[in-house]
Amino acid sequence: MLEKFKEWLLILCISCTIVIFGNTVNTLTDANKEAWLSPLANIPGVLILLIISLIGLILAELIPQVHVSIWITLIGVLLAMPYNTVTGPFVAAEVGKIGLLPLATPILAYAGVSIGKDWIEFKKIGWRGIIVAFLVMVGTYIGSAIIAQLILKAQGII
Amino acid sequence: MDKDKLFDKVMANWPLHITLFVVVMICEAINTIVIKTPVGNMLLLPMLFAMLIGLLLYLAKGVTWIGDEQSHLASNFVIIAIAPFLAKVAVTTGTQLPQVIAAGPALILQEFGNLGTIIVALPFALLLGFKREAVGMTHSIAREPNVGLIASKYGLDSPEGRGVMTTYIVGTLLGTIFIGLFAGLVGSTGILHPYALAMACGVGSGSMMAASSAALTTAFPDMAEQITAFAGTSNVLSNADGIVMTVFIGLPMCNWLYNKLEPVLGKGKHI
Repeated sequence: MLEKFKEWLLILCISCTIVIFGNTVNTLTDANKEAWLSPLANIPGVLILLIISLIGLILAELIPQVHVSIWITLIGVLLAMPYNTVTGPFVAAEVGKIGLLPLATPILAYAGVSIGKDWIEFKKIGWRGIIVAFLVMVGTYIGSAIIAQLILKAQGII
Repeated sequence: MDKDKLFDKVMANWPLHITLFVVVMICEAINTIVIKTPVGNMLLLPMLFAMLIGLLLYLAKGVTWIGDEQSHLASNFVIIAIAPFLAKVAVTTGTQLPQVIAAGPALILQEFGNLGTIIVALPFALLLGFKREAVGMTHSIAREPNVGLIASKYGLDSPEGRGVMTTYIVGTLLGTIFIGLFAGLVGSTGILHPYALAMACGVGSGSMMAASSAALTTAFPDMAEQITAFAGTSNVLSNADGIVMTVFIGLPMCNWLYNKLEPVLGKGKHI
């Protein structure tokens, strides 16, 4: 457990460091350049996300019947929901400074390296296989969106 | 990989981390590039460049410090490093909790839309000449739990097993980039509401959800919070119900439709 905790902390520190600077560069180059954030201003928000991640990973290790993404969701929702007036406003404001995009960029950079080992297998797949796989993704995406659209319309939300 | 030594391996591979740090900063500095097409806008997000550059660095012969060992390390790294992203989605979901609860029926029922893959993709797979491979390819979006299911039911050496691996590998390599571009494109056509498209982002893969929801938040910045909350909730639901849906509905439905359609569409040569 302690060994795993050390691994998680190290990996989270590396990725969060990239996020702290990535968020600054992102805010400097997006459409609203005046509202840029310094790396220092990003630290509280990133720290909150790091702590939620660590607690979620520990809980998933102790109670593995519940997936880590569900633990993280539960903690994040409880900390930030409007009914929680103690931590809610602070957590929402600090985490709100950290963009969704800069949080995903380092993950996908590492994911790019990780898919490299599947490259040889990928080259064996012909164009027919690629077309069908794309249609699988189109089908699930459009199928879900159409049902959501109909129900949201019926409910009067959109 | 020897799990006990992951800490040391992450430490020892500091050139990998420095390289990817620089890559991420360059991608963020370029920021999102919008390409206008007649059907809608293609959003080239920094995360999509970053993924492509990561793959190119692995493939580049000159980059000796990013090879097979680092590729395996990166797989283990991503599983943990995605946690802060999920935490951000969770916090946003928390701030939007009343709206998420109000949209509960749509969020739950859209899960059945994942069966759309069978209706859309199975007929084309048959027209392209696939036989039983088509069932493995199109019964679900073929992430890890689905591969496990097909492996235990048919074996990975079976036609169904080869089929599920095809969709799995294409999804792993191109799925994130494809769904990111596709979500932005569909969003900009204005046919479906951004909320509905957000709910479709959760397909049970963290990186696919990241790319598709980020494309939507970039296209509709005024609705960013709601989009993130709906996408995150639908992804958690897909993680929870995905395999149950496949076992009880997806796979039986795919087999049934295969038996109906194969005699009609499956005239082509077996490949």
